Amino acid sequence: MSTERRPVQQLHGPIWRASVTDEVRAELDFHVEMLMHELIAAGMTPAAAEAEARRRFGDFSQANAAARRAASHRDRTMRFTEHLAALRQDVVYAGRQLLRAPGFAVVAILTLALGIGANSAIFSVVNAVALKPLAYPQPQRLMFVTSQFPTLGFDEFWVSPPEYFDYRRNTKAFAGLAAYTASAVNLGGGTTPERVNTIYMTANMFDVLGVRPMVGRAFTAEEDLPNAAPVVVLAYELWQRTFGGDPGIVGRSVEIQGRQTRVVGVMPRGFDLHDTHAETWQPLGLDPAAQNRGSHFLYLVGRLAPTATPASANAELAGFLGRWRELAGGAQHVPNDSTHRIQMESLRDEVIGNVRTALWILQGAVGLVLLIACANMANLLLARAESRQKEFAIRSALGAGRGHIVRQFLVEGVVLALLGAVVGLALAYWGLRALLAANPDSIPRAAEIGLDPAVLVFTTLVAVLTGALFGLAPLLHVRERAVASAIREGSTRLTSSLGRNRVRQSLVVGEVALAVMLVVGAGLLLRSFWNLTNVDAGFDRENLVTYGVVLPQATYPEPTRRTQFLGDLLRRLGQIPGVGDVAAMTGLPPSRQVNANDTDFEGLPVGPDQPAQNVDYYQTTTASYFQTMHIPIRQGRGFEPRDVGGPPVVVVNEALAKRFYRDESPIGRRIKPGYGPPDSIPWFTIIGVAADVKQGGLDQPPGTELYLLYDQLPQYVQFAPGQLNVVLRATQPLSSLAPQIRRIMTAMDPSLPIVEMRTMDEVVVESIARQRFLSQLLGIFAAVALLLAAVGTYGILAYMVSERRREIGIRMALGAGRQKVLGLVLRQGLGVAAVGIALGLVGALALSRLAASLLFGVSPVDPLTFSVVAVTIAVVALIACIVPARRATRVDPLVAMRLE
Amino acid sequence: MPAAPKDRLHGTLDALVLKTLSWGPRHGYAITRWIRETSGERIVVEEGSLYPALYRLERQGLIAAEWGVSELGRKARFYRLTPAGRRQLTAEVEGFRDFVAAVSPILLTS
Repeated sequence: MSTERRPVQQLHGPIWRASVTDEVRAELDFHVEMLMHELIAAGMTPAAAEAEARRRFGDFSQANAAARRAASHRDRTMRFTEHLAALRQDVVYAGRQLLRAPGFAVVAILTLALGIGANSAIFSVVNAVALKPLAYPQPQRLMFVTSQFPTLGFDEFWVSPPEYFDYRRNTKAFAGLAAYTASAVNLGGGTTPERVNTIYMTANMFDVLGVRPMVGRAFTAEEDLPNAAPVVVLAYELWQRTFGGDPGIVGRSVEIQGRQTRVVGVMPRGFDLHDTHAETWQPLGLDPAAQNRGSHFLYLVGRLAPTATPASANAELAGFLGRWRELAGGAQHVPNDSTHRIQMESLRDEVIGNVRTALWILQGAVGLVLLIACANMANLLLARAESRQKEFAIRSALGAGRGHIVRQFLVEGVVLALLGAVVGLALAYWGLRALLAANPDSIPRAAEIGLDPAVLVFTTLVAVLTGALFGLAPLLHVRERAVASAIREGSTRLTSSLGRNRVRQSLVVGEVALAVMLVVGAGLLLRSFWNLTNVDAGFDRENLVTYGVVLPQATYPEPTRRTQFLGDLLRRLGQIPGVGDVAAMTGLPPSRQVNANDTDFEGLPVGPDQPAQNVDYYQTTTASYFQTMHIPIRQGRGFEPRDVGGPPVVVVNEALAKRFYRDESPIGRRIKPGYGPPDSIPWFTIIGVAADVKQGGLDQPPGTELYLLYDQLPQYVQFAPGQLNVVLRATQPLSSLAPQIRRIMTAMDPSLPIVEMRTMDEVVVESIARQRFLSQLLGIFAAVALLLAAVGTYGILAYMVSERRREIGIRMALGAGRQKVLGLVLRQGLGVAAVGIALGLVGALALSRLAASLLFGVSPVDPLTFSVVAVTIAVVALIACIVPARRATRVDPLVAMRLE
Repeated sequence: MPAAPKDRLHGTLDALVLKTLSWGPRHGYAITRWIRETSGERIVVEEGSLYPALYRLERQGLIAAEWGVSELGRKARFYRLTPAGRRQLTAEVEGFRDFVAAVSPILLTS
């Protein structure tokens, strides 16, 4: 048998191989043919030979199928290996190309990194705060119940215990309804007393929320009765920090507000309610039989019954409001559906609150930054691709298939995008940490914020898509028949291809427009913040130091003991060298909780047309308050030392005088503060009107305020507040003042913690922390956007100049001066920028209304801001255009025309 | 003549193919014919097991294939041994020798 000839010609397979099925069939067919040939040679007839061949071949179809499967597997494996090898080659090549053009690579990577990093960080925040559900089981079934007094202007106000019990007793829509109030307590017994946030709650609160203590248990119903022995549940962090994670903590006694309290449980790590940052949870100890209907201090949280919906719960509540008196057994002062409403919203909406607008604005801002970054990337890739026309043409001529070149581009774009993503990840991580560290209280649910992997993947995908897309785009212009001419011409043409230039120009126009919008937004917010910092808070905050002190019931039971302590303390503080006036008061401006106390105004008519006899803020102060704070007295006089032990007197603020007494002078009129049943309280005489002080925040108008003299309270209302703020005007800085204050406090009573000693400047600045945070962030984004847009503008102008070198050279040879050339180039660049600025201003006009709720003292279409931004960006564009323009004027006409 | 039992053939099929190809490239049909003739018609490789074996060997990189033209002027797929295949063949032959040396004293003595 002769040996087969060696294969004489290599049949070139096309790039896309014939299907496996066809190949296998061809091979098997050949086999059958050979077999037939042999049989015929041995003497069979062709028909018989074929039959025999097939029979000998066994089950043809089965053999075929098995062979096909094996062949497919083989092909797949081999092709996979092949592709991997090619891919690795491409990646290495792409890496080398990038190293060869480090400027381009760095700019591209940083651009992408900024876009990706900023987006990831901000979206992580938005996601954790606004989008993710709360960290309780089935959180969408938790509702937050508050009261509302429309005529008094109180929204999301507290509920009183009898109202709570009425509701709880009658509701079918809620499976569980719990109540709580947030406060702070002294945690003592250690070397330093601590003041911790606490929540007083009904025993069913943890059940309603659906959480259990990690260690120990929650309260029993017996422990939630008035006069029950004090018990407490601790937070995990407190347990670790102050009690060293003591495994025997359950059953131990700790000192809270001066009383021995037994620890019954510890909550899991990170547990919190409504961002109170509570570290202890204690029973409310409400008396179900109490009738303190006017005492509003509770928030309610309820879990819907399995068959109820928010709609059905609201319907049930509306029904109750129509007949609450009946539910309350005929009592007075019950909720109704007009002046004293009860309302509910989902707990999550309540927690997110008014941060939502700000968050979405931030998200929009970073979205814009990402768009700008992608546009820049696209421009960069386009420019680069064009400068490599020659290289592509040569490679194409040398036989690189189109597919190969396509793959090469893709790989380059993707490699760049991935590098950008890695740097972006680092930026996002550090950025997020810095954000949270700098502004811990401005963001709700801060504990739940972490870098969101989903977001990172998303933004990386966006970047990769951009890289791939614009990496490929230039291919549209590489035509095979233009190969030869491309090699000849190189990279210069008389004028550049119109289509490509259009794309790049529109990209830059888009970038500039987006940057304008961002800068306008940032400008408006910055102006708002600036306005806020310059608001007159009503007092002089220079050289003013303040700290809080709490006199617990247990150790200071009698009101007179408290006034004694306070008087003593203020006297000793006043003796510190450099300290001038000293005072104490209950409320710390400019941001206080509203008191909303019912108050009797003698001689004023009561009726639906009259302002409700209720005062927003009670401020209990010592006699030296007004002079310490430098609050001017507009009419009458402030408190004086002789008022101690004198007849009951009060001072009102201008807002109160205007609201209740209109143009008449309130001096001499009488008021009865709502400290208890009217018969037990004497009439207080108004002796003066003080200038308004901000209480609801710097951006809110002042409310009505009633000043009472601390030393008079024990005598006239048998009460003296235990929570006070001490304020001193001192010429010493806080650092040297603090130890002296501490010494005095320790000498007087070492069990009292010093709460938040700071300067009043800090207090005021902290009250606008959220606005500052927002404007800072937006400012950073705007700056980034501006930088990117400037880079983009510079890039395209530099490119356009290099494109038109020949033309410029010719013009100069024909006599055009340098100035003319400069003007020509600048006109082109600024023209692009101008279109972008115009579009951006229009866009900003349209969108800024959305942010109106965040602005203070400036209109969303403020002309000054808009003009300044337009001019600024025009200047930036000018600077970006100068360098390429000047370079254009240095073109040597001879060289330019000779160039290729 | 009795044909070789199928299962014992299966394990050595790879080695047979590799050895056949060590004498030069062949297409699938030529491989079966060679084995058949050289074994004196005692070993008939069924086509249903030949091609899967060939594709497996190709996937493993022990043999390489390309389309060529056969002696009849038809398109046929020719297989040849790769260096890796050559090494594998040596190993298989060694293994077979050891096997025979180990089993013979037991089975082949009376």
